[in-house]
Amino acid sequence: MNTRDLHNPVIDPVTVEIIRNGLYAVTEEMKTNLTRTAYNLIIYEALDFTVGLFTKEGDTVSIGLGLPMFIRGMSETVKAKIKHFGYENIKPGDILVTNDAYTTGSHLNHFTFTMPIFHEGRLEGFTCCMAHWLDVGGTLGNVTTDIFSEGIQIPILKYQREGVVNQDLIDIIAMNVRLAERALGDLRAQITAITTGERRYVELLQRYGADAVNGSIRQIMDSSEAVARKNTLSIPDGVYEAESFMDDDGLDIGKRIPIRVKVTVQGDEMTVDLSDVSKQVRGFYNSGFTTGIACAQVAYKCLTTPTDYPVNDGSFRSLKVIMPMGTVISAERPYPMRVWMTFPMTVIDTIFKALAPAIPHRSIAGHHADLVFPNIHGISPEDGRLFIVGIGPLGGGWGAKSKEDGVSVTVCINDGDTHNSPTEQLEAKYPVLVEKYEIRKDSAGAGKYRGGLGAEMVVQALSPFTVTTRIDRVHCKPWGLEGGGEAMGNGLAVRHKGEWKTDHLNAKIFNVRLERGDAYKMLSGGGGGFGSPLEREAEKVAEDVREGYVSVEVAREVYGVALDARQQLDAAATNGLRAAASAA
Amino acid sequence: MSNTNLTPADARLRVAVDIGGTFTDMAAFDEVTGQLLFGKALSTHGQLVNGIQATLDSADIDLRDGNLFLHGSTIAINTLLERNGAKTALLITEGFRDIYEIGRVNRPDAYNLFFNKHEPLVKRSLRFEVAERLRADGSTHKQLDEAAVRELARELGGQDIEAVAVLLLHSYRNPAHEQRVKQILQEELPGAFVCASHELSQEYREFERVSTAVANAYVGPRVSAYLGELEQHLSTKGFEGDFYVVQSTGGLFPSAHARRDCVRMLESGPAAGVIGAQAICAQLGMGDAIAFDMGGTTAKAGVISEGRPLTTGSALIGGYERALPIQIPMMDIHEVGTGGGSIARIETGNALRVGPQSAGSIPGPVAYGRGGTEPTVTDANLLLGRLDADHFLGGELKLDLAATQRQMEARIATPLGLDATSAADGILRIAVTQMSHAVKAVTTERGLDAGSFTMVVYGGAGPLHASAIARELGIRKVLIPYAPGYFSAYGMLFSDRRYDYVRSVFRKLGEVSFDEIEALYKSMEDEGRAALTQSGTKAEDVVIERAADMRYVGQEHAVTVDLPGAFFVDKDRSAIKRQFDDLHKVRYGTSAPKEPADLVSLRVTVLGTMKKPPRHSVDTGSAMPEKAALRGVKPVYFRQGGWADTPVYKRDLLRAGNQIAGPALVEEHASTTVVQPGDHLRVDELGNLQISIGSERE
Repeated sequence: MNTRDLHNPVIDPVTVEIIRNGLYAVTEEMKTNLTRTAYNLIIYEALDFTVGLFTKEGDTVSIGLGLPMFIRGMSETVKAKIKHFGYENIKPGDILVTNDAYTTGSHLNHFTFTMPIFHEGRLEGFTCCMAHWLDVGGTLGNVTTDIFSEGIQIPILKYQREGVVNQDLIDIIAMNVRLAERALGDLRAQITAITTGERRYVELLQRYGADAVNGSIRQIMDSSEAVARKNTLSIPDGVYEAESFMDDDGLDIGKRIPIRVKVTVQGDEMTVDLSDVSKQVRGFYNSGFTTGIACAQVAYKCLTTPTDYPVNDGSFRSLKVIMPMGTVISAERPYPMRVWMTFPMTVIDTIFKALAPAIPHRSIAGHHADLVFPNIHGISPEDGRLFIVGIGPLGGGWGAKSKEDGVSVTVCINDGDTHNSPTEQLEAKYPVLVEKYEIRKDSAGAGKYRGGLGAEMVVQALSPFTVTTRIDRVHCKPWGLEGGGEAMGNGLAVRHKGEWKTDHLNAKIFNVRLERGDAYKMLSGGGGGFGSPLEREAEKVAEDVREGYVSVEVAREVYGVALDARQQLDAAATNGLRAAASAA
Repeated sequence: MSNTNLTPADARLRVAVDIGGTFTDMAAFDEVTGQLLFGKALSTHGQLVNGIQATLDSADIDLRDGNLFLHGSTIAINTLLERNGAKTALLITEGFRDIYEIGRVNRPDAYNLFFNKHEPLVKRSLRFEVAERLRADGSTHKQLDEAAVRELARELGGQDIEAVAVLLLHSYRNPAHEQRVKQILQEELPGAFVCASHELSQEYREFERVSTAVANAYVGPRVSAYLGELEQHLSTKGFEGDFYVVQSTGGLFPSAHARRDCVRMLESGPAAGVIGAQAICAQLGMGDAIAFDMGGTTAKAGVISEGRPLTTGSALIGGYERALPIQIPMMDIHEVGTGGGSIARIETGNALRVGPQSAGSIPGPVAYGRGGTEPTVTDANLLLGRLDADHFLGGELKLDLAATQRQMEARIATPLGLDATSAADGILRIAVTQMSHAVKAVTTERGLDAGSFTMVVYGGAGPLHASAIARELGIRKVLIPYAPGYFSAYGMLFSDRRYDYVRSVFRKLGEVSFDEIEALYKSMEDEGRAALTQSGTKAEDVVIERAADMRYVGQEHAVTVDLPGAFFVDKDRSAIKRQFDDLHKVRYGTSAPKEPADLVSLRVTVLGTMKKPPRHSVDTGSAMPEKAALRGVKPVYFRQGGWADTPVYKRDLLRAGNQIAGPALVEEHASTTVVQPGDHLRVDELGNLQISIGSERE
């Protein structure tokens, strides 16, 4: 080992690489253990969780890929816990907990457990696990208007004090949540994850020594910073702005919520100014300050260090974020936060949109930007007990890029490696019948490269249940870039007694009861197109028609492509159509 | 071909042939002389049968002497990965046409805007809906429209469809509709390969099951034709014994069955390697071992725990992001993209990375002199003296040391401010930790203590790194088997006939009727017994193992729990629960003995045990190897102590009882074993190299 100075020894690149692999493996194992032992579908299938390792200052060393939108929330929660207790009061065997929405930046469902890592008597870092609990009390299904209606709030506390569990806390939680046994099962899974992380991290420290591990972490972060700066430098200097909007806050139906972003690139630094994102709203679509920062960080990472692992805070040193408190993504107590995850995705997409003129080959057109899933509760005909389930996420279209079509029916950017749940599993567990889960024709934005396609799902009630949907982006359709068309937005319909009601003003319904045989239908939007549809290779359009992704009408009217009776490309007619369209 | 064990009295050879990516390996056992024979030839893609005959010829095997022909091949997996299978159609429950394309909607690379999804093997215009619907309890929600199916089948007849897969919802609970659809398809499309999902998997999860059925249909015609051709060839050569194929579980099934359930042989080679390691465990009386296989592009680890290999219920084929899931029991093997050909590169930020890109065999490592310019793990081994420029593959391939040195300096060492030796050493250290993660994935991550296992190491590149990997994991004992380069073929000689059955039931353990469960287990067992009897297995050779996938009520993920037969005789619910609690505790560190549990799926393995080749042995020598065995002394670099004069031994001249203290190299045709300073090697009576690992970690 070369030593530059005693406090910052330079670690050789081989050791750094070995420790990088080791850190990544630790968070992967934490993730595996959490998902394999969790009780609720939102953790084990939707992977609504984040596990990570943090420095003793609370900076992110490695986050296991769970929920990208939580890239900031976890580190800030660890820092808040450090600040709350002070280092002198954090002891080996402690486990610190909170679900405070304004600390995590998200909703009360996100219980976050943190364990200090001690090695040879010194604090060396933290292991942390956030996971989404199925229910944390509060109003069931309906729209909420303040934090108190959203469930139990646990301030920063010790769940475990030097190895001794705080049973009082467990008892309080158990009395305040529905389906307590599930919540406590998930709690156990989270404890398994952080103790696994702690054990493996200590093994790394024992194996390589604290100096080598900490020195490697510094160098990994420096290296991520170098990559981020290099890839920022290649963006032309300038000020880039874009705007979009959300449908409404669920209360003031039809009152649009503006999202405006301003990105300044200067040399190898970027500043994202979110001051003009809408003020916080009455309905439950607010998120906290850390999530506002995460919007900028997720966008920045996607554009500069997308496949740099482990995910660490070095990547963000060259990014500044300007954002006042009190916006819809930096909301203050007691504004409601239950649907925290929806609006930030559109903020991210709007940042991509702003930068698209500067870096068209690295950017992406708009996507469906919503989880598109319902919250269902009812009484199980089998055992007479309350059940709560979300069916989805549906997945939708992603935007096209400068040289590739968008990806179809894939989960939105808020979530990463999320899975939908098998229909066979849902139908075995709950009184539902999935009538249909299919690709939505013509939902993609047209373009030289078209967007991905959205999906449609119809779910029938086999016994009565109550459904709530909080789906947005019906009206602000996923946009195209460089002449690419916009996609279909998200949507919703409900069937009562065989009659479909399709004229909802938005895609939000609260506590609608479905009787046996009734159904709801969810539609996810597509992704925007890139470049003019008239420039799309005609044979590809014909292929899309034959495969049923694009209708004959859209092929003709939007792409200027004609097909003959056997659905083969009619080249002459196509040339005519395209010439006419270009002239117009 | 008889498959009835009525073989001629003088047929005495059990012949195993494993087709791998590069080589076709053969191992044969002579039941009369007790002799083991080995053969190797280059795989002949396109005409695999020629390669098989070449390996047989290389060892002078006359198929008229064969009583068993055992076979593993990459044909099924290659057809899948290279996407050159049959033109396949899919028939699926109405409303679900797109689930095979939609998949699980996941996006593993969370920040990468340029991600991709899996690509279906059947495009949308060849996916057709069938009017019918079952409910989760197996009852009929909507009758099957048989006339519409028949009409569709007739339409398909005009479209050159070679194969058809069928997936109907909840067929794991009630296969009647799938069976009927298959029947109609067979009537209307007599030439087509038809596969209904319940024939392969009676487990819930429609996407995984449809992916399995489609994969089977897609590879079916090609695999079936290949096996037919091989049957024909064997018969032409006078072979009158039984022809079995190795499954991904490591068990055998008759070729006639393999021609239907083709996806069961996807991972036959790697699985057979684990069976070989299991055989060695049995010979030496060891319960626990890690089976570690390192080749040119990947390293793979499997586990034998208490004498039995660990299996899994499903696997992802073709890399996680774009993977196609296959939901059938398989050997639980974890793979990392680190092999001899893995390329070392410096990436932005001065980070040194090894793999997953591989130089393959063309252009290959720099040392091969075939145009490779990027240093690989093999190059690093050459520079450190572990491989010999003049004796690689018995001297058949001369290695270019000067070019290797040059490229290592130019591309890795100089930019990092190191010398070539340190760069090469660094590459090996990174490769070793990466490979150790594969071992951890199947041991520590399953709650098993890797340090207490013996690591059985094979594959061309494995023995070079075995000692280093063992040190990384705190493993004390490494075993390099006799003929590590033929190990998959060798393993096949020890396989048993095997059938696996799974049935999803979704029952609460506390409420389930034992009679119902017993009936389900029995029906699966009877099916297995019937299949075995058909292929000539005697009743006394049948062994049945029961297991169940269990979880706490409310959990989703289930773990497979072995359930001794006695639990069912005694109808002992609490014993079943305890078994699950204990396993959960081992696997994940927690359990909830007071929480109720679900029985998700029932599993049965029906084995038809085969007579195993007896232990073979090598000649006995003294503690000191014979003089002739020492090929010379050469400088080899070790991290502890730097360059050291190191004796090089010829493995084929080592004798049982020989002992060698590290540092040393042991060379054989396709492999070199590195014995590090502090290690101690002993040749056992079976010819295995048993290495006690020195205590120091690298």
